[in-house]
Amino acid sequence: MPANPQTPATGRTKTDWMGEAMQKRIARRYAAERRFKWMGLGAVALSSLFLAFLLVVMVGNGAKGFISTEATLTVDLPAATGSISPEQLTQPRLAATMASIDVRRIFDNAVQAQYGEDGARFFASTAWTALRDQLTENPNLVMSKTKVWLPTSSDIDRAAKDNSTPEAEADYATLRKAGEVRQTFNWRFLTGSDGTDPAQVGIWGALKGSLITMVVTLFLAFPVGVLAAVYLEEYASKNWLTDLIEVSINNLAAVPSIIFGLLGLAVFLQFFSMPRSAAIVGGLTLALMTMPVIVIAARNAIKAVPPSIREAAMGVGASPVQVVFHHVLPLAIPGIMTGTIIGMARALGETAPLLMIGMRAFTTTPPDGLTDPATVLPVQIFLWSDEVNRGFVEKTSAAIIVLLVFLLTMNAIAVYLRNRFETRW
Amino acid sequence: MHRIARFCPARRHRQPLLDIRRHFIAQRGVSVLIRKLVFACLPALALAGCQDPASTNEGSSRSEIRIVGSSTVFPFAKKVSEEFVNFDPERRSPILESTGTGGGVELFCAGVGANTPDIVNASRRMKKSEFERCIANGVDGVIEIVIGFDGIALAQSKNGPKISLTVEEFYTALAAQPFGKGPNTAVRWPAINPALPDTRINIFGPPSTSGTRDALEEIIMEKGCKADPAVKALSDSNKDKFEEICHSVRTDQAYTDTGENDNLIVQKLSTNPDAVGIFSYSYLADNADTVRGVPIGGVEPSYATIESGEYPGARTLYIYVKKKHVDVIPGLREFVAEFLRGGENEGYLTRIGLIAAPDKVRTDMLGRIQSLTALDGAELK
Repeated sequence: MPANPQTPATGRTKTDWMGEAMQKRIARRYAAERRFKWMGLGAVALSSLFLAFLLVVMVGNGAKGFISTEATLTVDLPAATGSISPEQLTQPRLAATMASIDVRRIFDNAVQAQYGEDGARFFASTAWTALRDQLTENPNLVMSKTKVWLPTSSDIDRAAKDNSTPEAEADYATLRKAGEVRQTFNWRFLTGSDGTDPAQVGIWGALKGSLITMVVTLFLAFPVGVLAAVYLEEYASKNWLTDLIEVSINNLAAVPSIIFGLLGLAVFLQFFSMPRSAAIVGGLTLALMTMPVIVIAARNAIKAVPPSIREAAMGVGASPVQVVFHHVLPLAIPGIMTGTIIGMARALGETAPLLMIGMRAFTTTPPDGLTDPATVLPVQIFLWSDEVNRGFVEKTSAAIIVLLVFLLTMNAIAVYLRNRFETRW
Repeated sequence: MHRIARFCPARRHRQPLLDIRRHFIAQRGVSVLIRKLVFACLPALALAGCQDPASTNEGSSRSEIRIVGSSTVFPFAKKVSEEFVNFDPERRSPILESTGTGGGVELFCAGVGANTPDIVNASRRMKKSEFERCIANGVDGVIEIVIGFDGIALAQSKNGPKISLTVEEFYTALAAQPFGKGPNTAVRWPAINPALPDTRINIFGPPSTSGTRDALEEIIMEKGCKADPAVKALSDSNKDKFEEICHSVRTDQAYTDTGENDNLIVQKLSTNPDAVGIFSYSYLADNADTVRGVPIGGVEPSYATIESGEYPGARTLYIYVKKKHVDVIPGLREFVAEFLRGGENEGYLTRIGLIAAPDKVRTDMLGRIQSLTALDGAELK
């Protein structure tokens, strides 16, 4: 900077903002600014790209899982069952009448009559149960020769959607030509349970298992976690013991979930000898895992309540319990709920600890209670992704969609509740 | 401040102070909600705490059948339990868990009662040591049912160079110490037989806890190993040495154990065209579009060759039923009968790869479950 005039008063060089070197420096600063902005934008774009990719792939594969292919079957029930009189279908005798019908044999005969000796290949291996369900729903079908729609085999289902074995493609073409095949919404997928034939599996069993498990987890982890946080923040004196507890809780929150699975196996199954594969054991194990997360979130939320609130409440004569339950907790609730949502979302997606306590069992009846054997959505996804039959690929994606919808619903409810109780001061 | 508040519990804040007034009003609804929540949770907590051990400890009653065991029998058992429920929707579905034969027998033999399984699936016969453990834990009366046969198949990807082996060659490639002559150093197939394709020896197979592995060692490897007369002589003179030579699988990178997961082997084969996989025949039958069987001694693994015993990898599949649980757990007899019905010739199990037992064996088995004839440990090894 040769041309800089000296300012006598301060004795230092005056900055030449227009000088070449300075302009260069300024340009560099602006460039750094722009670079940072672009990098940030790139990071956001990359993560949105991954998310979009995941969603597109899942929905692309999974949407087909909600569609089932059905073919017609003409069943001549009066001929097959002997004539059943209308009064045999009235209430007291209905059950006995239905029990006397051998649906399976009727189905086999009808299939052979319509599709030939080898006709069984057109239908799902348990399609006759669909016929039985239709009969139970509408007993009057017995009175006439009817045409029913029944699920096709997985191979033909795949032929209808994309590509399959050449034989199945040919079969599908024949059915199509005759107008004997249609695609409908797969209600069975939402109401049924696990099975061996991808054309007839359902997600309801796993969904119900997840629901029961989550309820157990919430009812255990939430109150215990919040009470622990309240005690630690409002009552416990600050000494080495509470410091130790705080460190332990922070550590627990970071312990890998598989460890909790082993803990559940050792404590609940072996020590308390609770039933294997039961939803309650899953709920207890996940509650252990979720509790530290809730405690940490709740403590932070309680800490954030300004002391002036407490002091004012005490000033008007509230007891400590009243201060906590009337003033501190209500103000901390939004923060506590956020922590709970995070904890519960993690618990909902958890697979590893549940494998340890046997919640990977195959069962075709949905659980009815806490001690019934159950499986949960992520485990069901894991099990289906492992199946060889290609029909399970779309079912796996469809199950993932159900899991995501479940998660979103759970979070939406929690966010709604949180916003309702949100108070600003 | 604290003390005053504690001793003078204010009933209700009728006259809230200035700026916190709004806060008080807004919070009343929430505090009621919290109070309700706390009271709703406490009983639930108490219930969760007290009820569980109680309800399970008394529990000799359980309404569904529990099955554990072999991953090879798993798909068959799954199918049977599905049919079992379809037959009568009032029945509760059995609970199946695939644990491997060894792990399953361990759970099965842990004792009698609602917390132990009723049936264990096994892809080999129960061992004498396992049976004795069962007896020691009060599980006397184990009913052995043969449900059919399965072949251990060697398979490779359809895209790979065709390999055909003899039992002896296979043993030489797989053994840790072929014929007891030092560690196995063969890295490529031509080292064993120059006629074989020039690719790396890369075999995927089951881990040591698997019944498939036991069968592999006892059926195929032992046959190959006995081709050497010196080793064959050992089988009478020095049993331990013989087993060490014939049953130990090499642990270097030529053999990869893939866990209790036959599907994984199928997937690995399709991505590694040069590799050879070992799994049960039913998986080969299921995946005929991606993998093909490797002939052993010129015999292709197929339904016919396994049933006739021509293919060297055939083995018997069993289920073991706890006698003390029959008639306590509803439907056990019916379940076994259903298993045998599904396993008949042209039955639904044969469609997914089970090889049916002869009719006579099946009638015997049906008699066994009806008369509850328990297994006599003397014939076990």
